[in-house]
Amino acid sequence: MFEFVVGSPLNIVLILGAVLVAAALLIWVERRVLGFLNERLGPNRVGPWGIAQSLADVGKLITKEDWVPPFADKLPFIVAPIIVPVVMLLSFAVIPIAPGVGIMDLNIGLLWVLAMAGLGSYSAMLGGLASNNKFSLLGGLRAAGQMISYEVFMGISILGIVILSDSFNLREIVEAQHKHGWFVFPQFIGFIVFVIAGLAETKRWPFDLAEGESEIISGFNTEYSGMKFGLFFVGEYIGMLLLSALIPVLFFGGWYAPFGLELPNAIISGIFWMCAKTGCWIFFFILVRAALVRPRYDQLMNYGWLVMLPLSLLNLLVTGAVVLAQGN
Amino acid sequence: MNAAANTANAELPAVIKALYEKFGESAFVRQHTAEGMPTLWTGRDKVLAVLRYLRDEHRPRYEMLLDVTAIDERTRINRQGQPASDFTVVYHPTSFSGNCDIRIKVALQMNDLNMPTAIPLWSSANWQEREIWDLFGIVFTGHPNLSRILCPPTWKGHALRKDHPARATEMEPYRMSDEIQDREQEALRFKPEEWGLTRKSENSEFMFLNFGPNHPAAHGVIRFALQLDGENVLDVVPDVGYHHRGAEKMAERQTWHTFIPYTDRIDYLGGVMNNLPYVMAVEKMAGIKVPQRVEVIRVMLAEFFRICSHLLFYGTWAVDLGQLSPLFYCFVDREKAFNIIESITGARMHPGWFRIGGVAQDLPKGWDKLIREFVDYFPARLAEYDKMVMANSMIRQRTRGVGVIDTAGAFDWAMTGPALRATGLEWDYRKQRPYSGYENFEFEVPIGVNGDCYDRAAVRVEEMRQSCRIIKQCLENMPEGPYKADHPLTTPPIKEKSKLDIETLINHFLSVSWGPVMDPTEVTMTIEATKGLNMYYLINDGGIGSYRTRIRTPSFIHIQAIPFLSRGLMLADFTAVVATTDFVMADVDR
Amino acid sequence: MNIDLWPLLIYTLIVVVLVPGLLVVSSLLGQRRQDHATHDVYESGVVSTGSAQLKIAVPFYLTAILFIIFDLEAAFLVAWAISIRESGWLGYTEVFVFIFILLAGLLYLWKSGALEWRTLRQQRDLANLAGEGGVVNVGARAAAAKESHHDHHDDHGHDAHQAGHGGAHH
Repeated sequence: MFEFVVGSPLNIVLILGAVLVAAALLIWVERRVLGFLNERLGPNRVGPWGIAQSLADVGKLITKEDWVPPFADKLPFIVAPIIVPVVMLLSFAVIPIAPGVGIMDLNIGLLWVLAMAGLGSYSAMLGGLASNNKFSLLGGLRAAGQMISYEVFMGISILGIVILSDSFNLREIVEAQHKHGWFVFPQFIGFIVFVIAGLAETKRWPFDLAEGESEIISGFNTEYSGMKFGLFFVGEYIGMLLLSALIPVLFFGGWYAPFGLELPNAIISGIFWMCAKTGCWIFFFILVRAALVRPRYDQLMNYGWLVMLPLSLLNLLVTGAVVLAQGN
Repeated sequence: MNAAANTANAELPAVIKALYEKFGESAFVRQHTAEGMPTLWTGRDKVLAVLRYLRDEHRPRYEMLLDVTAIDERTRINRQGQPASDFTVVYHPTSFSGNCDIRIKVALQMNDLNMPTAIPLWSSANWQEREIWDLFGIVFTGHPNLSRILCPPTWKGHALRKDHPARATEMEPYRMSDEIQDREQEALRFKPEEWGLTRKSENSEFMFLNFGPNHPAAHGVIRFALQLDGENVLDVVPDVGYHHRGAEKMAERQTWHTFIPYTDRIDYLGGVMNNLPYVMAVEKMAGIKVPQRVEVIRVMLAEFFRICSHLLFYGTWAVDLGQLSPLFYCFVDREKAFNIIESITGARMHPGWFRIGGVAQDLPKGWDKLIREFVDYFPARLAEYDKMVMANSMIRQRTRGVGVIDTAGAFDWAMTGPALRATGLEWDYRKQRPYSGYENFEFEVPIGVNGDCYDRAAVRVEEMRQSCRIIKQCLENMPEGPYKADHPLTTPPIKEKSKLDIETLINHFLSVSWGPVMDPTEVTMTIEATKGLNMYYLINDGGIGSYRTRIRTPSFIHIQAIPFLSRGLMLADFTAVVATTDFVMADVDR
Repeated sequence: MNIDLWPLLIYTLIVVVLVPGLLVVSSLLGQRRQDHATHDVYESGVVSTGSAQLKIAVPFYLTAILFIIFDLEAAFLVAWAISIRESGWLGYTEVFVFIFILLAGLLYLWKSGALEWRTLRQQRDLANLAGEGGVVNVGARAAAAKESHHDHHDDHGHDAHQAGHGGAHH
């Protein structure tokens, strides 16, 4: 029998493989679920229930023309789509999945994730500006405004957790919740801000202003096709997966079972509960996509700077005061 | 002046009397038409003064210029009592306060095809004058940018002139080589200076963006050239004509009967609703009174198409605002309505099912079952969409106060239908001048207050409920009787009457192959179509088809107002405005 | 503290090779086309006017400045958050003052209109609305609207009403 140790080669390969498969499945799941929510079927032809749809899509995308527009800035144009999947996958390095399951137990895990999210926002900006296309430019500008704004709120919203758990280490944050209870209760405002800002960072519905099909066709990726578009696309889904995994880790007790419903083996129980919680959030984000309306640029910015920012700052001050008062 | 003329004078419509008093009787020539609309000829030098008088001083005021069009009279035979004219420009102002229309005609000679522009009176005259220039070659002096609008900028000749080829075989075969493609593309390049737009301000360079013809939110092949400062829309120049088929030209080659299917494809979301004004106009000329059952069947199907059209609007509007799901729900409902239409007419979007003097067939056995299910099912669905869309606070924030126009503005831009009612004017053609038996139905005319995107949508949503109400009344009160009028000009004629002897057989044969032949006259028929007022102006020169068919469509007129509605807003607002203008490109370009 | 960074390095290496690798594979497998308009810029299917490289108005860069200010602030706050127990109430007071000044700055920015992204027309049209909007004369909401209609007259909506009724009795 082998032992699960964080950072073992087996762990690295398995987790990377699992994330990639999950992202591909997620594309299919989302299309299917959206289909049922919209009184239609969704992709149901490739394989049983259409489950191999993403595989077929990859096959199609990879054999499509790898076109670089002659009018574009070539290097940034090619680099831009690579950034998203890379930084999103790198973020997964610090996500604790179960005891002993994870790629890296990093003591600055939370900062690592924030740093990667910050890097990720370059992708849409670069792609939009390098395309030398007006729709892309508009999309790039929107992406820049949206992502750098919401990055600020996302960063501040999780500082409450840092205060409560006294650590940047995601495993320690999970353990702290095991001791003190889920952080979603003491950090409810931080939680709300984080979910909204996280959604905005992944540019998912309803925060898809940078793509905004009905306004700017496909926004920053208008000139992208084939696998380069595929990377943007997959990157978005890995991002959604990451966010859905991060929310349980930060606010819902990570791999620990709720209501004492542990399975016999600690590792299996951890993996199961982590996946279950992640799945719930994925489903939630699909529901959000089916229901909500895209805000206008000014509404997005106003909401961010005038509601999210003051809220997250006040949350931080209150949390600090409460912790100090209890400590003394 | 003889006695007959004197008695005619005594019964003069008030508006003609007032015009005679104001400008002198010698300034006008009166023309009699079958439908009895006051029709006056006047001189080119006086026409603007007459129109201005009608708009400002006459009571009731003629607030809106419903239509401007032209007629190539050069090959017209029956023009008794009309002044000599090669080309006639026809103005059709309409009065909402007085609920009446007038037609003002101006005769032009071939060597001097000039008219003063009416844009200072009505902004809506702009595109209609461009259309006349494009299709007839009449110059409107003082027009800010008299350029082609329906035909491509590279087109040679004026398509609606009688000497312009009408079918492809009369012209060289068309081939699209790379050179032609490049030339056409270059001709499409937007030149801001032509429209009086600057390329930059002190602080920034403006972006000129082609929003369409191939754009997901353009609702068809239309181009809006946007002048953008970042996200802000500074100006909009709509460019139409990508969908132009020349329906008015085709009408000149079809018989009265065979043109019916073409009308379906004008507002292709309106289906048989398009047949209605056309067949009613022909029936007016022929003097056919259709049986009550025909009227109710027509109303029922027309209202189904109103629901279909509004549903499409509802869904696409939501998706343009970034809400995904309502589109699919609306399409599911629309599918149900199409199933009903299919079960009755055999076709879904373009049944072409109305006939001169009736409808194509009687209702099938058990026709009421699906409809009964629909009228029970549909209101509940609408209530759900109300919660999801209309009551959604994000939708309200995105659309309230966006694209505002008031009633006076709507008159100026000739906006009719839901767009006009959203400004607070309770005016529906079905109520004001009931046709096809609408006076027998109970329904209400919803109005808004703000005239913004939200109200335009809300009015349409309520209209679907009212349409459902009308359909329910049709269902419960469908009269018995024939589905075609017993009239010699009903086309195709009733088959049973052809089998009596050789005489009736010949009549039947002629009637089927030629269709009705009627005394020369002119007739106008307007209906409250899905998107506004749809009007057919038919000129009958005594032939087996129309000499000139003018189709006034709401979409064409409404698009003109989009710059007015969206200047100074943001790009996202612009899509909301485009969606609530609710146009169909086939209806725009005809 | 000495942590073993090897797993992260290996993982990073795999990811950094894998993702661009997909592009390389696709460029090997993909077709090559050279049609008439293959290399044209996409602008809704017609040729474009002017360049996509523009000087953009100054207000746009305001967002960037806001970001720099507040993200810098966040950097300080991160350091404080992890050491809150060490720095105690004194540190808290300092942070409180710091955040207070920033919020005051935000308030000032808002009041001076720097956080107003809307256009003049958007503000004006929204401010001048005659009512809540929606259908006012049919259905459940109509009854409520009629009640209030007796109290205060709508400005232009009312005139239009009259015009409509004039026609109705024709």
